[in-house]
Amino acid sequence: MIFSLDPHSRIDSPVHRLPAWAKLAAALALLVATVTTPRAFIPVGVVLIAVVALSRIPVLFLLKRLLLLEPLALGVALLALLQEGGVRIFALIVVKATLCLLTVILLSNTTPFADLLRVLRRVRVPALLVTTLALMYRYLFVLAEEGERMRRARACRTYGVGRSHAWKSLASVVGRLFVRSTERAERIHAAMCARGWR
Amino acid sequence: MSPPTAVELRNLRFRYPDGAEALRGISFSVSEGECVALIGPNGAGKSTLLMHLNGILPDRLPAVPAVTVFGRPVTEDNLAAVRRDVGLLFQDADDQLFCPTVYEDVAFGPQQFGDDASVPGRVAEALGKVGLSGFEQRAPHHLSGGEKRRVCLAGVLACTPRVLVLDEPTSDLDPRGKRELKELLRNIPTTKIIATHDLELVVELCTRAILIDGGSVVADGPPRTLLGDEVLMLAHGLERPHILQHHHPH
Repeated sequence: MIFSLDPHSRIDSPVHRLPAWAKLAAALALLVATVTTPRAFIPVGVVLIAVVALSRIPVLFLLKRLLLLEPLALGVALLALLQEGGVRIFALIVVKATLCLLTVILLSNTTPFADLLRVLRRVRVPALLVTTLALMYRYLFVLAEEGERMRRARACRTYGVGRSHAWKSLASVVGRLFVRSTERAERIHAAMCARGWR
Repeated sequence: MSPPTAVELRNLRFRYPDGAEALRGISFSVSEGECVALIGPNGAGKSTLLMHLNGILPDRLPAVPAVTVFGRPVTEDNLAAVRRDVGLLFQDADDQLFCPTVYEDVAFGPQQFGDDASVPGRVAEALGKVGLSGFEQRAPHHLSGGEKRRVCLAGVLACTPRVLVLDEPTSDLDPRGKRELKELLRNIPTTKIIATHDLELVVELCTRAILIDGGSVVADGPPRTLLGDEVLMLAHGLERPHILQHHHPH
């Protein structure tokens, strides 16, 4: 199984062909506008819908991604409901959060991550931060696959047991995964040193 | 005149922090141009030994190191030069391919060694050597096992090492992947030290085999002599490879 954060980042469309720096700058501008001004969400929304149409990314995929990420924003928005006049604030937070998420999802699915990293490096984002991002992007997949393999191996040997046992075994899988990642991190560091990293 | 010494080990000992003794006094030397196989059962100390050849282990390099590479003792001061001379291919390709694209990964070594102008040329040449020209912009997690291994090798070759150190280069490759990798290695004239369980590879490729078990050298000689000795092989968790089996009349 191949996990992918950005399965559409390498298709061809007018949006994909734009230079990475332009897309990153535009995304930043959209985010800042959405967050800081009270009514910018209408033009931002229009721009994003236009980008979606031009980018040839399946709308269903975008909706699924939004649905996946929305709970994080909703958690915060729900707190707003507790205060007076909360419904309006709640609606505003949800709309703004959705637009921000859509902006980021579109950016990551129209620009290969390596290109984004190159832009970050060029605008002098601290090298340590860029390297960390690069390594995170690279090993997220390895980690996810390792976790999936361990989960399957577990599942093969835990049939017909109660739910509490399943939770316990999940806990041990997470623990093992942490140990394995630490060991892998050591080996990666060794591999980097072997090729001259200091 | 015999060829100059590439790598020399004098009474190499190593104990892991948990107290387990991995290497108990290993000595041998490898001349330039040799292709040496390190064989032995799991846990014999092969991988641990390889990591000493470029100073990844021990964590604190001793003042008088047991390992010498092209006349240079592996000390803190010599580390950069030693790592340039020794190209180490790790067992797990995912540990070695840490960059977002193939190009960046192969370029990583040459960039560290600081000759930026030559980097694109080195990458193109290395990818060409492993037969993966055109893979520059691919992401490592989308490659097959054999391709990953070859990109790793390209990353090492791009540093133009004087000795290639390979840890299980054919493990988890399919037969075609193994065959292709063996052909690749055969055509690289660099001095090679290969730790492997792939005994066919040893017979086909290597000029010398060193058998290690329990952290010590048990035997050292021509591959066909060593690997053909069934009693010796079985005593150390190995077996006589099929290509050295006698044909029995049935």
